[in-house]
Amino acid sequence: MKGRPCILALVAVLLALAAGGCATVPVKPWQRERLVDPIVAFKSEAREDARKMKTFEAREGSTGGVGGAGGGCACK
Amino acid sequence: MSPRVALTLLAAGLASAGAVPAFAQEAADEPQVAGTLVRWFTDSDHVSVRSLSGDWVWPLARASALTFHYNNEKVLIPAVSAPPGTQDAIDAITTASRPISGNAFEDFVKQRNEVEGEYARGPAAVNYYVSSEADYVAQQLGGRWSRDFRQQSANLSLGSSYGWDQIAPAQDDDTNTGDARKTTLHWNAVMTEVVSPSLLLRYGVEYNLVNGLQHNPYRNVYAGGTNVPERHPDARQRRDAFVRANQALPNRASLKLSYRLYNDDWGVTSHEVGTRLSQYVTRGLSARWEYRWYTQTAATFFRDSYASVNGVGGYLTGDYRLGELSSHLFGAALRADLEAFAPTRAFVRRMTLWVDLERYFNSNNYSANVVETGVDFRFP
Repeated sequence: MKGRPCILALVAVLLALAAGGCATVPVKPWQRERLVDPIVAFKSEAREDARKMKTFEAREGSTGGVGGAGGGCACK
Repeated sequence: MSPRVALTLLAAGLASAGAVPAFAQEAADEPQVAGTLVRWFTDSDHVSVRSLSGDWVWPLARASALTFHYNNEKVLIPAVSAPPGTQDAIDAITTASRPISGNAFEDFVKQRNEVEGEYARGPAAVNYYVSSEADYVAQQLGGRWSRDFRQQSANLSLGSSYGWDQIAPAQDDDTNTGDARKTTLHWNAVMTEVVSPSLLLRYGVEYNLVNGLQHNPYRNVYAGGTNVPERHPDARQRRDAFVRANQALPNRASLKLSYRLYNDDWGVTSHEVGTRLSQYVTRGLSARWEYRWYTQTAATFFRDSYASVNGVGGYLTGDYRLGELSSHLFGAALRADLEAFAPTRAFVRRMTLWVDLERYFNSNNYSANVVETGVDFRFP
């Protein structure tokens, strides 16, 4: 399968996820204790993910996946 | 969308970030945190990279915060190891991805420094990045805006950045690339949802429009019976979509799954699947196991060998990253929050220590090891 149709298909799935999420009952703040644990939260690994993206960019042909451009360097 | 329109949108985003009214909150909830880490990277080509970096987060009043990041890297590329005068040595020199002027039989060492700062206020943030090394200076200005929905169970973040790189190739005996530029326009839209009391979901799309020099200015490619400087197209459109799910498990553990699909107009399509399993060993001490699988197709102009000096459509590459490739990464990490071990020690209990080991290898007979260790300190 060509890459562009794949991307469009995945975007459609993501939009469906967003629409599906709107149909559920919001989780109350006092129910979120486990979600702020460092082994669960997205925030706790954000800097590590950015470092890893840079490492992979220098050794593979793609980029992305962490929601930011990352900075330029001669290693790319 | 034209670059001019994109730049206008970016400027509007940055202006709104500075002008947006802050939340009524007067005091910051988050503590001030400073962290530092050391990272060692070594690979099967005997290239080594030592990184020393620091991060600071200063929460400010009125729901604003400043963050600062610094990184110093020392890169060592080993000397050509083949005996001087042999065909192996000649091939190694002509296809080298680093400058060689005079003596190719000594190690090449370079330093890179990067600084990044961000100011966030309420739902908006602006950031600036600069990276400097002897032959390459990169800068980037970015902004993002986010909004909560559904009683803070969902968050939509929109981001954009513009990067401009100045390339001034060093003296190289077998190439003659002049000064050049590269620009990158980036957009992203990322949604994060609290799906249940134990499940977080994040998904998004990203787009990069890259213009300018995108090949290695020091590398030659063997084509049509001779050596020709590498030549890539000047423009590249890169896009990806990703989804991540973080599931808290009952026995003080978590499972993180991720998938990313990438495609560009050079013909590279890639898939990435990641898994992370974390578990508390005891209170304050957690262990993590990680596995990542990656595969990609080749760029349309990539060939193992070129029959003509014109390559494919005028482009030639010696960059294996543009060929078919698959890779695996295995990792293990330990993280210790010292508050659990020394709750009465005023200084020690504010620290978190961690160490991370990784083993990476790909289908190009390439492998690498990464060791990372760091400490975070939460200020009173």
